[in-house]
Amino acid sequence: MRNLPFDTVLIANRGEIAVRIIKTLRELELRSAVVYHDLDAGAPAVSMADMAIPIIGRMPVAAHLDTAQIIAAAREASAGAIHPGYGFLSENADFARAVVESGFAFVGPTPEIIHLMGDKIQARNFVQRNGFPVVPSAIEEDDPASFIQRARSIEGPLLVKASAGGGGKGMRIVRDLDTLEDAIAQARSEAQRYFGDGRLYIERYIEKPRHIEVQLLGDCFGNVVHLFERECSVQRRFQKVIEEAPASTLSPGLRERICETAVSIARAANYRNAGTVEFIVHGGEFYFLEMNTRLQVEHPVTEMITGIDIVAEQLYVAGGYELRFSQPDIVSTGHSIEARVYAEAPERGFAPTTGKVLVLDYPSGPGLRIDSGISQGQQITTAFDSLLAKVIVHSSTRNEAALTAQRAMQELVLLGCETNASFLACVLADEQFLRGQVHTGYLDENPQLTACDSASDLSTFLAAAALLTRPVRDSADAVPELHASLGGWRNA
Amino acid sequence: MNHVFELEGVDYQLWLSRWQQGYRLHFGDEVLASLDLSHQGDGCGLLTVAGASEPVRFAVDGDTIHLHIRGRTRVLRYRDPLSAHALVKKDAGLLVARAPMPGVVVQTSVSAGDQISAGTALMVIESMKLESVIRSPQDGVVDRIHFNEGESFEHGAVLVTITEEGH
Repeated sequence: MRNLPFDTVLIANRGEIAVRIIKTLRELELRSAVVYHDLDAGAPAVSMADMAIPIIGRMPVAAHLDTAQIIAAAREASAGAIHPGYGFLSENADFARAVVESGFAFVGPTPEIIHLMGDKIQARNFVQRNGFPVVPSAIEEDDPASFIQRARSIEGPLLVKASAGGGGKGMRIVRDLDTLEDAIAQARSEAQRYFGDGRLYIERYIEKPRHIEVQLLGDCFGNVVHLFERECSVQRRFQKVIEEAPASTLSPGLRERICETAVSIARAANYRNAGTVEFIVHGGEFYFLEMNTRLQVEHPVTEMITGIDIVAEQLYVAGGYELRFSQPDIVSTGHSIEARVYAEAPERGFAPTTGKVLVLDYPSGPGLRIDSGISQGQQITTAFDSLLAKVIVHSSTRNEAALTAQRAMQELVLLGCETNASFLACVLADEQFLRGQVHTGYLDENPQLTACDSASDLSTFLAAAALLTRPVRDSADAVPELHASLGGWRNA
Repeated sequence: MNHVFELEGVDYQLWLSRWQQGYRLHFGDEVLASLDLSHQGDGCGLLTVAGASEPVRFAVDGDTIHLHIRGRTRVLRYRDPLSAHALVKKDAGLLVARAPMPGVVVQTSVSAGDQISAGTALMVIESMKLESVIRSPQDGVVDRIHFNEGESFEHGAVLVTITEEGH
């Protein structure tokens, strides 16, 4: 183990990713501190961390976006470094700068790179300038007066996106140009609220693409390596649901070109720490989508196939170390699939669900990893993201991994708040998914998956519910059947 | 006596009767005999149907029964006929906009007493990442805005009530 210039790391995040980071900090014998909003007081990260520091905000999310409170918490914890996780302030250049200027190590890239890649337009222009492929688009700030006109002249359906955006926020598909101006207004409003930045751009919406991304690691000595690609095409509302590594249907040649391109983009940007370049792939073509300058939700599938703890590498790079391996040292073994357990009802248009976790029991077994952010007794609200846990499997083949993941989704018991677990089990068993024929429109095109088992075992469920309901049992007991009264058996 | 359970928006009528050492379920034309459910603590139980037993996980929260059986989780609600009736009566004469999903009120565009037309934007709500506008289905007068900006609401909550009068 190498000595790091800090012994305590503040995690400016919550949920499963805070737990995930704490686990690595423990392994590296570092102390963990976590900030939390009162709503999360019962969350596992708060009890697991060596120190938990409350933060406040009128809206819970606002507390996690408050740089001053987080820096103050880091001081209180005597932390030497701040890990931002994903979401919240993880891709906020001002935050990264404030962290560094306050004397902490930022576990992520430099503020300059975050700024470059965080602005989707700048990032796109940067990539294009360096000779890598991008999708045809109209950028508002090039000339706001002609924005709509330029957008209209792009052929095909359009995608309205927030310049400062990510994670599907502020995004709208426009198929009918008459609705373009409405879509712009709504996307702008969302972008303004989520990112404090209403600037937009519009690009051609490529139908049925694959979403392929490459995990990168860079250090401050100019070394950049890739940890292979991930396939993240199974999405609903631009939100990833199932991710895997490797991408099974890419030809070896295309796979290599995509990974090489990602490394070249990162090198051109002088990238350091963990990052991901996302591409959309259509036929044999691929286009730069964006670069995420942070740890990704789906990083575990890469950890499973490479055996590399990405959070540990992030900490070493932040501590000033050179990468511990070069490209030929990194090998991919077997196949890994991650399924995201969300508090949502797939059969009701993936509407978010709420409730208190009354029973929680995760499956376990060889090749199974659970990254969970909840514990029994915790209240699930809509105040934060609806991701509850991730179930990650690693097997020698894709089919085996899919089967293991499907069983795990069925064995997972979470009562009190509806989740998408049954839906995930259906997707993992779907023939089209098993053939690897997925694209970003796959779930939308297969709405039957949201109701694939809705009729089965109905009478069994009704019987169990009836037996568990006092008035129903009582009215049966009040009229005992002849046999029952002869037996003299009484229900207690 | 018939009892009603709601599952995914559908009501199912059933009743139980005693049978031998256990129960029988009467559901439509179906009769499931030799039923019982033994509690094993910690939300674990053993459901017996016709002599065959299988594990079930359950949590009962008031009238809501959460079940995990054969790899599937379902939520059933025991419907007390009296309370269902009361809900309908309370809403009579008023048009009610209910929350399609839990979320937060982003903006309220009208106040109580405002005259509105069909299609008027009443409220902007946000759930997770998507904003949507609640619009009036017809002409009328705003009776009440039930949530202020920034307040969160649960699935099925009454957001806005409208009266049809005043036109």
